[in-house]
Amino acid sequence: MSGGPAVRISIESASEKQVQEVGLDGAEAYLQPLSMSQNLARLAQRIDFSQGSGSEDEGSAAREQDWAEEDDEEEEASVKFQPSLWPWDSVRNNLRSALTEMCVLYDVLTIVKDKRYMTLDPVSQEPLPPKQNPKILQLVSKKKSLAGAADILLKGAERLSKSVAENQENKRQRDFNSELLRLRQHWKLRKVGDKILGDLSYRSAGSLFPHHGTFEVIKNTDIDLDKKIPEDYCPLDVQIPSDLEGSAYIKVSIQKQAPDIGDLGTINLFKPLPKSKPGAPHWQIKLEAAQNVLLCKEIFSQLSREAVQIKSQIPHIVVKNQIISQPFPGLQLSISFCHSSNDKKYQKPSEKQSAENHLYVLEHNLHQLIREFHKQTLSCAMMPHPASAPFGPKRMRLAGPQAFDKNEINSLQQSEGLLEKIIKQAKHIFLRRRTARTIDSLASRIEDPQIQAHWSNINDVYESSVKVLITSQGYEQICKSIQLQLNIGVEQIRVVHRDGRVITLSHQEQELQDFLLSQMSQHQVHAVQQLAKVMGWHVLSFSNHMGLGPVESIGNASAITVASPSGDYAVSVRNGPESGSKVMVQFPRSQCKDLPKSDALQDNKWSHLRGPFKEVQWNKMEGRNFVYKMELLMAALTPCS
Amino acid sequence: MGVTCVSQMPVAEGKSVQQTVEMLTRKLELLGAEKQGTFCVDCETYHTAASTMGNPAQPGKLMYVMHSSEYPLSCFALFENGPCLITDTNFDVLMMKLKGFFQNAKANKIESRGTRYQFCDFLVKIGTVTMGPSARGISVEVEYCPCVVANDCWNLMMEFMQSFMGSHTPGIPSVFGSKHDSVYSPADTMIQYMELLNKIRKQQQVPSTGMR
Repeated sequence: MSGGPAVRISIESASEKQVQEVGLDGAEAYLQPLSMSQNLARLAQRIDFSQGSGSEDEGSAAREQDWAEEDDEEEEASVKFQPSLWPWDSVRNNLRSALTEMCVLYDVLTIVKDKRYMTLDPVSQEPLPPKQNPKILQLVSKKKSLAGAADILLKGAERLSKSVAENQENKRQRDFNSELLRLRQHWKLRKVGDKILGDLSYRSAGSLFPHHGTFEVIKNTDIDLDKKIPEDYCPLDVQIPSDLEGSAYIKVSIQKQAPDIGDLGTINLFKPLPKSKPGAPHWQIKLEAAQNVLLCKEIFSQLSREAVQIKSQIPHIVVKNQIISQPFPGLQLSISFCHSSNDKKYQKPSEKQSAENHLYVLEHNLHQLIREFHKQTLSCAMMPHPASAPFGPKRMRLAGPQAFDKNEINSLQQSEGLLEKIIKQAKHIFLRRRTARTIDSLASRIEDPQIQAHWSNINDVYESSVKVLITSQGYEQICKSIQLQLNIGVEQIRVVHRDGRVITLSHQEQELQDFLLSQMSQHQVHAVQQLAKVMGWHVLSFSNHMGLGPVESIGNASAITVASPSGDYAVSVRNGPESGSKVMVQFPRSQCKDLPKSDALQDNKWSHLRGPFKEVQWNKMEGRNFVYKMELLMAALTPCS
Repeated sequence: MGVTCVSQMPVAEGKSVQQTVEMLTRKLELLGAEKQGTFCVDCETYHTAASTMGNPAQPGKLMYVMHSSEYPLSCFALFENGPCLITDTNFDVLMMKLKGFFQNAKANKIESRGTRYQFCDFLVKIGTVTMGPSARGISVEVEYCPCVVANDCWNLMMEFMQSFMGSHTPGIPSVFGSKHDSVYSPADTMIQYMELLNKIRKQQQVPSTGMR
């Protein structure tokens, strides 16, 4: 007990109140303990003052006796009840209980002191001075009131957070509604039951394609609030029919040779799609893609229906997703429908090189044509009209009042199908390409004369034109005789000469090539003619189509004969597309030494006659092209004066 | 659309209408004309109803509603010497609704049916004019397609008509006179038909029972 701060142990009497009565419901009614004065009064009543002055002694003796008795009792451990009349009974009882407690205290102390059973560690605690008590009370009351306030605040916060969440929910709902409004501005929507269905088909634009093209609008609001909302999050989502998913396009290509039959209809070409952004794409993109797929499907079905219906000399072949037609012999136009759904996205392109000759122009035109077709049907069916009279398209309606005759009405009604139009366009494109190639190859193969082609920038889908000039290098100004306008149509090429002659060539490549070759050969002779004018020579004869000499396989040879200004010399040029040029010079008879003297021509005047022709070894002539060589030759034959 | 001349071919003596038509078509076929189906021109007469007339003494005007297979979507409504209205075929329905003002003289319906021939730039239509069940005459319509100015091609047309109609070649139609150099229109053809059909109708009215 000596070491360390004393542990305070306060001992109080058990303040058990006396039970006055026990109610029927088991509730105990306690008797209020007597106050000090009441107790004293009660005790005083019991004192018998008659016993005189020795009461103090007796008291002490009795106390001693009590002690002794208590000792006895402790030893005997048996309770002897004194008659209750004994006045110090209550004192004794109190003492007794105090003793018991003391004994317990003693035991506790023993246990603590022995440290055999238990150790008590001092708890450091600021001894609270008794005068702080009111502050503690204040603290406690403050604590209580604070706790109350906190409670109220917490409740409020909870309510607030609830309303915030509700707000957010509402906001999302509003977002959904505003998105729905935006969707509604671009797409047709209708409500069926508790679903919102939309229409992405082109029916309202005049399409007759039977696909229903319905999509469903989904509310996409059940996302986790705690997680961060992704940036492209949209409360509205659409579900499109599974057969319209993915992307599709129509591939139009022209191939030279027919592929194996085994390959037909298995075209599955796909450029690797551009890497799509993670997360669901926006509904607009989704819907547009689906609509595109639908349109491609419609185009293809329309084309295949026409391909089967149209009777052509070479029947069109429709296999799976491919339509094959033969616009020109040995040439095939293939139109294929390529559709990749999302799961097959990573399929490798099977034929890479054939993907490259995809004619984007025709694909685009197909889209245009189907839209025109839509428009046509739309104006037929949807025009507002009186109930008593069905109206046709506008021009058809005018047909009555303007008294169109049969031919005009026929021209109104006849309409080519999609396939026919696209085949015509393909033919034209092919013909144009082939013409360009022919001209280019000729231009690169033949250096003299030169060919220039000027393509017009603006074309019709069925017609384009090119201007072809044939010139000689260095003499462009004087040799402008050959200017050709080539109007390339669908089946044929019309050539318009500068002088207005019109020649119609078929689609065969060879025809154009032969024609150009013959024109080039004529150009040389024309150039000589122009040169002669410039040089002061006289043209003796000129013919575009010579009837003499070897027969050319292409066209005709042309020829010219020019005489020098003095008339001494004559140069004759024959130029054939195949045989090439042949240049002969005629000398005056007087210069021909080897000419045998004729007996008939004795007179001197005959020596002024022209003598025989001698061929010029043209390939040994100096000069970079034919006209230049010619100029040199003429210059050499013109005597200097 | 070209310039058209409508004329009447009298029935050859001692022959029926049918035989005369056959004779004409044979001539055309010999010329090298190609048969191109049939044609039909019909004309209905409407009286203006008496109730609407201000002056009961004034006889009601006659309105003719005509259709031609050459203009299948059109309907022509004409007054004699009056305006010509070209409408679409719904006009017939409208006329039904105007019963109170215009009454259809059903008995006066007259039509010309026959064969259509093409000979190069010429269209020739030889028709039998019938009124009710009886054939009353022959109409010959000659159209020169490439031209739209009547006076420019009248001589050519006349020459062509002479080649198969011989002495019955008609004179210049009255509508040509008023046209001068302006563009010939389908209405002019219908006016000629109206005049022709009226003429035939009146011709036959006097001896209507005697001839047939």
